[in-house]
Amino acid sequence: MNPIDDQLKRLFQAAAQARPQRSLSPSYGLETRALAAWRSTRQGDVLWDMSLLIRGLIFASLIMGISLLPLININKNTNPFSEDLQLADSTVPFDDAP
Amino acid sequence: MTDVEVKACLARGREGDEKAILELFHYMHPHVAKLVHANLPAKESAEDLTQQVCIKVMGNLHQFSGKVPFLHWVSRIAVNTCLNQIRYERHRPEIRLADLSEEEAGVVEHLAVSPNELDSSEKVAAAELVDKLLQALRPADRLLMRLMYLEGHTIEEISSLTGWNTALVKVRAFRARVQLRKQYGMLMKENL
Repeated sequence: MNPIDDQLKRLFQAAAQARPQRSLSPSYGLETRALAAWRSTRQGDVLWDMSLLIRGLIFASLIMGISLLPLININKNTNPFSEDLQLADSTVPFDDAP
Repeated sequence: MTDVEVKACLARGREGDEKAILELFHYMHPHVAKLVHANLPAKESAEDLTQQVCIKVMGNLHQFSGKVPFLHWVSRIAVNTCLNQIRYERHRPEIRLADLSEEEAGVVEHLAVSPNELDSSEKVAAAELVDKLLQALRPADRLLMRLMYLEGHTIEEISSLTGWNTALVKVRAFRARVQLRKQYGMLMKENL
């Protein structure tokens, strides 16, 4: 083995053995902060669901409105007095007046 | 905790069970702390970074799809957070023998002249010397060398921990070893 490689290998082996064992317990308050982070996303989920529901309702009412529009027009045209009213409202030319 | 238990905890969490979420937190915290300590950016406090990673994980728990093991998903978040922290740190182009403490220089000399194992006080100096050598590497290469040679992970394990494919891990390891050889060779030359 290349002397540099050999020495590097021994150096890293020694360093790996010397690595200090640190305390791995969570620091004070971290548990609460982590839980708060999780809760905030849950609230976000609920809000997102609500906004989705509201958007859905708006969209549904829009479609309902559009589909009812021709019906309203038909109702307007089928007014039994509509033709009479139109006649009464029109000007009648009297060309053969003396 | 097995993957099935993790999924059960997540399901309980979705129903609002905070106890289940705390179980998950206590399961992943030692893993995060270990990874952060191993890849600690020079200027960053390990505790702050561990907190940052834990909060990020808990805040994105709803995004965990379960396609990869839970701890691998957590590891990737931890590794990426560490890499983002150290990305802008300037790495030192080279180390000179004059930059080393007396003990660290003693380690270089010992390794050059004696095949015997270093004693416990020299091992501490060896760890400090390795830290200095790693500072000369790019952040991703540094992380890889730590995981590979100090933590003892295999290429496959590193690939799943970091999300890099095995070919990339091998290329980065090769590049990092070349750089380390160059650095250490310069120290050896100066030591002669």
